[in-house]
Amino acid sequence: MRISFVVPTYNSARTLDACLASLRGQTHPDVEVLVVDNGSTDSTPVIAARHADQVLQWGPERSAQRNRGTACSTGDVVVYIDSDMVLEPHIAGQIEAEFTANPETGALVIPERSFGEGFLARCRELEKRLYVGDDAVESPRAFRRRVIELLGGWNERLTAAEDWDLADRTRGVTRIGRIAAYIWHDEGRIQLRSTFAKKRYYGRWIDEYVRMHADTSGRKFARTALFRKPGSLLRHPALTAGLATLKMTEAAGLMLGIRDSRVAAR
Amino acid sequence: MRILVLNWRDLTHPASGGAEVYTEQVLRRWVQAGHEVTLFAAAVAGRPADETIDGYRVVRAGNRFTVYREARRWWERHGRGRYDVVVDETNTVPFLAHEWVDDGARTIALVHQTCEEIWHVNAPPLLAHLGRYRLEPNWLRRLGRGPILAVSESTRDALARFGAHDVTVVPEGYEPPAVLPAVLKAEQPTAVFCGRMVSYKRPYDVMRAVELARRELPGLRLRMIGGGPLLERLRAGAPDGVDFLGRVPEQVKLDEMARAHVHLATSVREGWGLVVTEAAAVGTPTIAYDVPGLRDSTRAAGGVVVPPHPEAMARWLCELMPSRFAGPFPALPHGGAHSWDDVAATVLDAVTEKARAPHTDIRRDHENQLRGAHV
Repeated sequence: MRISFVVPTYNSARTLDACLASLRGQTHPDVEVLVVDNGSTDSTPVIAARHADQVLQWGPERSAQRNRGTACSTGDVVVYIDSDMVLEPHIAGQIEAEFTANPETGALVIPERSFGEGFLARCRELEKRLYVGDDAVESPRAFRRRVIELLGGWNERLTAAEDWDLADRTRGVTRIGRIAAYIWHDEGRIQLRSTFAKKRYYGRWIDEYVRMHADTSGRKFARTALFRKPGSLLRHPALTAGLATLKMTEAAGLMLGIRDSRVAAR
Repeated sequence: MRILVLNWRDLTHPASGGAEVYTEQVLRRWVQAGHEVTLFAAAVAGRPADETIDGYRVVRAGNRFTVYREARRWWERHGRGRYDVVVDETNTVPFLAHEWVDDGARTIALVHQTCEEIWHVNAPPLLAHLGRYRLEPNWLRRLGRGPILAVSESTRDALARFGAHDVTVVPEGYEPPAVLPAVLKAEQPTAVFCGRMVSYKRPYDVMRAVELARRELPGLRLRMIGGGPLLERLRAGAPDGVDFLGRVPEQVKLDEMARAHVHLATSVREGWGLVVTEAAAVGTPTIAYDVPGLRDSTRAAGGVVVPPHPEAMARWLCELMPSRFAGPFPALPHGGAHSWDDVAATVLDAVTEKARAPHTDIRRDHENQLRGAHV
């Protein structure tokens, strides 16, 4: 079973080398790596050329880049990886094993951990740990080719929440399974200011997403998983306080972003 | 060619390290190739201020703080007009030779590693902040106005972040032991850590990773080689399966490394990470944290880098140990580095090609700056 990894990039030089090296280091023998760049101005294309089978240029946004990658890939399974992720070496192998053992499963969730530098990165690490196993937050990343083609790929009208949108639509057509190996997400050094700006940008697509998925969207924003294991929070009071600050900053950013989109629509 | 090398220490210094070995190996070969070489370094108790070692002259003056000023003073009294090239070997603090060499001699810097995060490990908090965010960026920015040789890609990237644009990567050297240890791999799955027990090598992380990995690989053992201030505390809190050997003779170290199935490295940052090279040369692959330096040596040696987190190291260890790392791993000739003959020749070529006479503007800028600071 050939596994194709599609990695959209944009000025991703800081993390891309580790990401692609981990894809190349998979224990599974038949792995294909596609990088879909969107006009990076740093050394992203050079790093990509060092590891990838194909380096494509496409835009304008992440969803379009991923769909382009799907179209150019040749694998039986397509896995969408972000450029700041590092994969454990046996992920491709587990994907094959899972799909082979369960023919009715069409997509797989790969759980995530995070790492980074500094206090806020450790808060984020705690947050990600709480989400593991919560299907309101986790989205599938590995798809059988026929499933992703049936779904028509990623929604190019969404730049944020596009993973939830795809997860919702996937649930309608097939069973979603999961594997045990982790993706390690490199958060780098988290800064409140840039977190806020990023969420404000993503917030512009939230209304659009809620219109499409009114039935399930509430659960996603509530993030009840954060409170399901209070023990983990109580054990790390400083991290919990930091996490609360981080989440409030994000919420403020998102709300401002939603307002931006409504003002623009008027 | 008449070459003057400035380095804060020479090989006879009690605290000399990898940079000094590099210097010694290279200078010896330059002398053999017919060049006239002088090394300026800090004074060492019990060693003369001026002597000849392996054909090159060693001049010593100053301590770790004043060696920089002494170097300049010595050059002004005895060196001006006598050298064609001045090599400014930088260990955190540069000599900034290109700001004061004014007799037309060419200059170039040689940087093994930048200090950055290690400030927090080696200096008290306030000084560390001052060093990391004020002093070092300022030094590196000034150094970056001249040509630089860097000993790894990571160091080049770091220098580029501080604005250096003329940086050439030169190889790291390693001479494998004449006789490779003739030992078999251990019967139980075994990991080895080799380094001083100091916090920037993060020995705690290795122990934690092995402790976690033992849940899946119950027979896994960890051999900790090396002395250092943390040794007793680590030994007191060691989990099952971890043995401390302390400081051991070179041959014992090589045997231990050869016997292990995998070598683990977790430093905060390295210039190159020579210990990875040593392990590869005796046929032991490395799993290392993905940090500057270790990244370069580990990739060159056919090892694997992982996110700098003990749980990540444990996960990779569990997966790679049974399949990929259990079988025979061919001993790499120079452990992924180069022979010293190669290194000496490459560095000399790079010096010849890249060194340039400092631009008078740089000096004037600097003098104006100093004048401005005194007003």
